[in-house]
Amino acid sequence: MSMKPSDSRLLDWVNVVLLVLAGVLVMTPTAWMILSSFKPSFEVTAYPPTLIFDPTVENYVTLTEQTPFLRYTMNSIIVTTGSTLLGLLLGTPAAFVASWTRITWPAVVALMARMAPGTLFLLPWYVMFRQVDMIGSYWALILTHAVITLPIVTWVLLPYFDNIPRSIFEAAQVDGCSPFRIFRRIALPLVSAGLAVAAILAFVFSWNFFLFSLVLSNSQSKTLIAASFNFIGEGSTNWGGLMAAATIIALPPLILAAVVQRWLISGLTLGAVKG
Amino acid sequence: MRVNDEHRGQMAAMSMPALIFTVGMIAFPFIYTIWMSFQLYSSTGQITGSGIGNYQRMVGDDEFWNGIWITFYLYFLSLALQLVLGTGLAMLLFRAKRLPGIVRSLFISPFMMPPVVAGMMWLVILDPSLGAANWILTSLGLPASAWLASPVWVVPTLAMIDTWQWTPYVALIVLGGLQSLPPSVYEAAEIDGASRRAVFWRITLPLLLPTLVTAMVLRSVDLLRFFDLIYITTQGGPSNHSMTLNIYGFRTGFEFFRLGYASALMVTLSVIVLGAVIALNRLRAAVEW
Repeated sequence: MSMKPSDSRLLDWVNVVLLVLAGVLVMTPTAWMILSSFKPSFEVTAYPPTLIFDPTVENYVTLTEQTPFLRYTMNSIIVTTGSTLLGLLLGTPAAFVASWTRITWPAVVALMARMAPGTLFLLPWYVMFRQVDMIGSYWALILTHAVITLPIVTWVLLPYFDNIPRSIFEAAQVDGCSPFRIFRRIALPLVSAGLAVAAILAFVFSWNFFLFSLVLSNSQSKTLIAASFNFIGEGSTNWGGLMAAATIIALPPLILAAVVQRWLISGLTLGAVKG
Repeated sequence: MRVNDEHRGQMAAMSMPALIFTVGMIAFPFIYTIWMSFQLYSSTGQITGSGIGNYQRMVGDDEFWNGIWITFYLYFLSLALQLVLGTGLAMLLFRAKRLPGIVRSLFISPFMMPPVVAGMMWLVILDPSLGAANWILTSLGLPASAWLASPVWVVPTLAMIDTWQWTPYVALIVLGGLQSLPPSVYEAAEIDGASRRAVFWRITLPLLLPTLVTAMVLRSVDLLRFFDLIYITTQGGPSNHSMTLNIYGFRTGFEFFRLGYASALMVTLSVIVLGAVIALNRLRAAVEW
């Protein structure tokens, strides 16, 4: 790469221009969604589309007044929080044991659950939950969404537990510490950063998950994501409301992702890339 | 030996809840689906054993073969786009050296938002008569497109939306690979006076292959099961032109309640995903350095 310094500087500029272009391409659709959600209803379908308009929150107000939007939001919060907590509760001690004893089944099962199509599980779940009359219940949704969160928690936490020097555990054992105590008093505080990343990723993926609540919820327990289907039906006449709904649904994952962006990548790639 | 028993007992107690959950919610349902795929479910709820009947039916079912074709068409098109553009974007990010958090957040945003939301926003942008995309095309003197409503363009349009969502993800994986390459090879190439193009094709790309295969595995698992975006936008239409195997299986099960046949379809799709992952892992072993 024997080049004059001026060549190199020019290439740096080309690089920046191309990056900005890529950033604009990535950002524009999302920006358009947010912009449209603040347009007055007569302007949102204007053709040619308008960029300058008097922003209004009428779409958001209509959404809460004419649809059970707040109920759907509550449902989403209940199901997502419940399944995230369940995933952490089950996955954290299991990841600790798996890391200590080097058993591999939790990681393998987590990978299998990640690979199988959701419908594969949904068919037997549907039959099972119908038998015990649980379709439409929060528990059916929390349990099924925990199938999403548990593998995430396991995969995110395994490397954190693996990173704790084994000598710490062994010294504690010699001092007569039981595995319970080692887990609670020594291991957990050391992986607190990992717990935060695991919780946030589990929350985001549970929040985003569409398929299970599409079938296992009813009009009372429907989550926001599953309800977005209804908004599209109405959306043919009401783009403003549709974009307002989309903006609100996208907000929690986007905010949480921005908070943990630095640690996100290694968790999202099942540890294939160190962030 | 009492201490040892207690140790073992506590370790078991800590993994037991996850194990019970896994057996009840993942392993048992998985086996149950396989069993269901050998049954016939009547509309009145009667279940009769049908042996390999569902699988025999699948072989003669045109919609099944259409599903296979759409699945792989969408898969290869999206994967190719995302790998090429993702690698390009990674090279740009790598050269920029410093990545402010805000830029990182920006590139993460498409794939952290629900695919359902992506579908909603693109439905509005790509609306055939009032959408912004067609306005841009016609302003440039290009013909307008029906996008998701066009039998010809529906799969490329879905691939484009998925590429918008997931190219930054591939880019961040490849960027991780670039950052872990040994600088010494570049220095050697520089001393030898190799051109930039030669350095990319002869050094960077071969060394990046394991990372690229990793990205392929992660994307393949999602792309072969492509669901949310299609279900929210086209539900397999227009007239089956975006009916992937996953969508076909879902509709067979939960719109027509042919649970046995749907199970057979989903078992088949799982075998396809598993096969792809095994094949790609072989490939990764072959390109490892």
